[in-house]
Amino acid sequence: MFSRRALLGGAAAGTATLGLAACGGSSGGGSGSSEEITSLRIMAPLLSDTAPDPEGELQTAIEEFIGMPLEITWVPNSSYDDRVTVTMASDSIPHVMVQTGKTAEFAQTAQAGGYWDLTEILPEYENLTPQNDEVAHGASINGRTYGIFRLRDAMRAAISIRKDWLDALGLDEPRATDDLMEIARAFTEEDPAGDGSATTGLIIPAWSGYGNNGPYDLWETWHGTANVWKDEGGTLAPAFLAPEFLEANRSMRAMIESGHVNADFATMDSATWNEPFFTGQGGLIADVSSRGLQLLGLFKDADAEDYGDKVTMVGNLSRPDGSKWSLPTPGYSGYLSIPKASVPSDAQLATVLGALDKLSSAEGQRLLNNGIEGVNYEVDGDQSVAIESEEASLVQSDVSAFAQIGSQSNGYLGYPAKPEGEPETALDEKRLAFHETDMETAVFNPGAAYMSESYLQNGAILDQIVVDARLKYLAGQIDEAGLTAELERWTASGGQQVIDEMNELYQQGLN
Amino acid sequence: MVMTNSPGAAAPVPLEVEEPPVPRASSSRRRRSLLKRLRRSPILYLMLVPGIVYFAVFKYAPMYGITIAFQDYLPFLGMQDSPWVGMKHFERLFSGPDFGRLLSNTLILAFLNIVIAFPAPIIVALMLNELRKQMLKKFIQTAIYIPHFLSWAIVSGLTYLLFALDIGPITVLFNEIFGGRVNFLADPDWFRPVIMVQTLWKGTGWGTIIYLAALAGVDKQLYEAAMIDGAGRFQQLRHVTIPAIIPTVIIMLILNIGNFLDTGFEQIYMLTNSLNRDVADVFDTYVYFMGITNGAYSYSTAIGLFKGLVGLVLILGANWLAKKFTESSLF
Repeated sequence: MFSRRALLGGAAAGTATLGLAACGGSSGGGSGSSEEITSLRIMAPLLSDTAPDPEGELQTAIEEFIGMPLEITWVPNSSYDDRVTVTMASDSIPHVMVQTGKTAEFAQTAQAGGYWDLTEILPEYENLTPQNDEVAHGASINGRTYGIFRLRDAMRAAISIRKDWLDALGLDEPRATDDLMEIARAFTEEDPAGDGSATTGLIIPAWSGYGNNGPYDLWETWHGTANVWKDEGGTLAPAFLAPEFLEANRSMRAMIESGHVNADFATMDSATWNEPFFTGQGGLIADVSSRGLQLLGLFKDADAEDYGDKVTMVGNLSRPDGSKWSLPTPGYSGYLSIPKASVPSDAQLATVLGALDKLSSAEGQRLLNNGIEGVNYEVDGDQSVAIESEEASLVQSDVSAFAQIGSQSNGYLGYPAKPEGEPETALDEKRLAFHETDMETAVFNPGAAYMSESYLQNGAILDQIVVDARLKYLAGQIDEAGLTAELERWTASGGQQVIDEMNELYQQGLN
Repeated sequence: MVMTNSPGAAAPVPLEVEEPPVPRASSSRRRRSLLKRLRRSPILYLMLVPGIVYFAVFKYAPMYGITIAFQDYLPFLGMQDSPWVGMKHFERLFSGPDFGRLLSNTLILAFLNIVIAFPAPIIVALMLNELRKQMLKKFIQTAIYIPHFLSWAIVSGLTYLLFALDIGPITVLFNEIFGGRVNFLADPDWFRPVIMVQTLWKGTGWGTIIYLAALAGVDKQLYEAAMIDGAGRFQQLRHVTIPAIIPTVIIMLILNIGNFLDTGFEQIYMLTNSLNRDVADVFDTYVYFMGITNGAYSYSTAIGLFKGLVGLVLILGANWLAKKFTESSLF
């Protein structure tokens, strides 16, 4: 039995703990003394199921390479952004924080001084100097660099097509948007599978968001709407207010109304996108080129002998008159940012950047993206070939995690993986070729770098208006006048302010 | 609380039992009597501690966080350094273009919940109560409890399968009978009916438990007396059974009204898409959308606070009305 005093004491202690916990938020960066950094703390998202072993072969090799022990906090990707918030409000902040994207919160925190402004500092580091200025500018926040961006392929757009269907109907690969519409029609109406089964042309899942390289974004850019923002003689205008936006969606609606698109395009789960293609319910997917390789893999799993003629891909389409606009990705995915609370001094910043610089060298990139040569991969020409062994599979699974902390902003210096079979190699070469030609007609988003104050506040809601209006129009819930009215609602609910602020920033950026 | 208080006798018994009249005690005497009671049965009071700690730590301490509704909160600045902006976020909420739509969607769903989902378990419980075969009754009870244990994710998955355009069994059957080509999952007119079907399927069985417990407590002698007086089954239902469970119904209603604006985030979120968003957006999904995906913590806290205040007013109002008209109330 407790005495009353003990109880009171316990209650007092409890209250004190509560008070401390509540105050913890404000005293951020308790560890941020000016001592030398002897081990590098990193927080990164984990996309696979198991976190790498801190004592594992790969981490040991990386630590040896940068000459410093690593303490990495792996956080499951699904809850990563929440954890960034919680961590920034705590007093155990890592030296390097991976950001998964240019979120409103990252921009606000950076501008309030939460992360180092690296604009003038990065050029001092050879391996942290961006190779592609266009991507680097797009990754900046109003021209300032608050993190080292993580490089991704700038061109990924591709249409995956059932090649055997195409051949069966004697059709050519599409070059222009009207070719695609014709193929979608033929795939729906002319029994491409040859067994009378119900088929459709284009497969589109429920797609959320605007300007994130979805199927509708592709279609609109191909028609000439530009990419999110359109530069019209030095001023920015939203791409969806361009006349081509209506034109593109008019033809998309025609395709949907004639049944050349899957009927459940508004509700189909995008995680099951491959299924209707694989099971022969549809024959066209406009997405990224890695999907075509995935689909080929599915057919190979089903029939390892006869899969070579199932899938082909083409890149961006032109307009029927031959003019072509290709839709690039932002070219990066998130950043490695350095919180000021945990790295307060210039000397410490130099230590952290020095380590990151090493990781971005050719050798560092290969460690992070390929693994340990001779253990889990071998080099064949300029491609990597996986080694099959138990040790190798351990390292390989760690590689998939460590790739998340690589930036490669100086250009990718690791080895691309060698495709397995003949058809894969052919498809891989084909996609690399059309990506390269598509880059010549790529329309980058001229407003990518700029984040207006009112967009930070209302952006999610405003984007939603466009997404919903577009889909309602495509589904036939509203007519063209209704679509125009909805887009005017965008302007009226704060969009005009976004346009004004964006143009102000854009003019400042141009000068 | 309700179950232990369920009336042993048949007549509607006010749940808040008046204290036996005691001589007026001054506050010091009352304090002394509390001390005396503490000393007499310390273990009994010790058992209160976990409850108090739970409420203090998980319910009251986090209320400190409400302050961020009046700030431009940034996690890295913390609550002490984030700029204070007063009522800015509330002004933005009330004057924003979404407020009217959110409020009406929330109120309509809440209204449907009270009118359709709330009485359903009562009706089912009354029907079960009339069953003579105990085996059958137990079997039905168990069968209709099961959906309660499924998560909303699973219920939504089933809904998508059953109501899918052109291929879902229910869609096929419905279109066979009524003609046309209904898209249950995307048509805004069908959003609320589908939500109600989900709610009824998942919650009705579980909801009957409390009413069945109340019904089990009705004194058998009352039925016998009613039968001797010549009451048929429906008259017994009207004059014995229903009056006996009214206090339970009132309590449950008040508790439900407290959650009036909690329209079920997961359920709605998973059924929302671009085509039905106009009728689907409620405060809960909006808070998620703004707070979690857009990083507007202060704004979404302000919305949450507004929702909480409306809930408080409703529960106090309902309690006051119940006290006034039916003699039973929660507090």
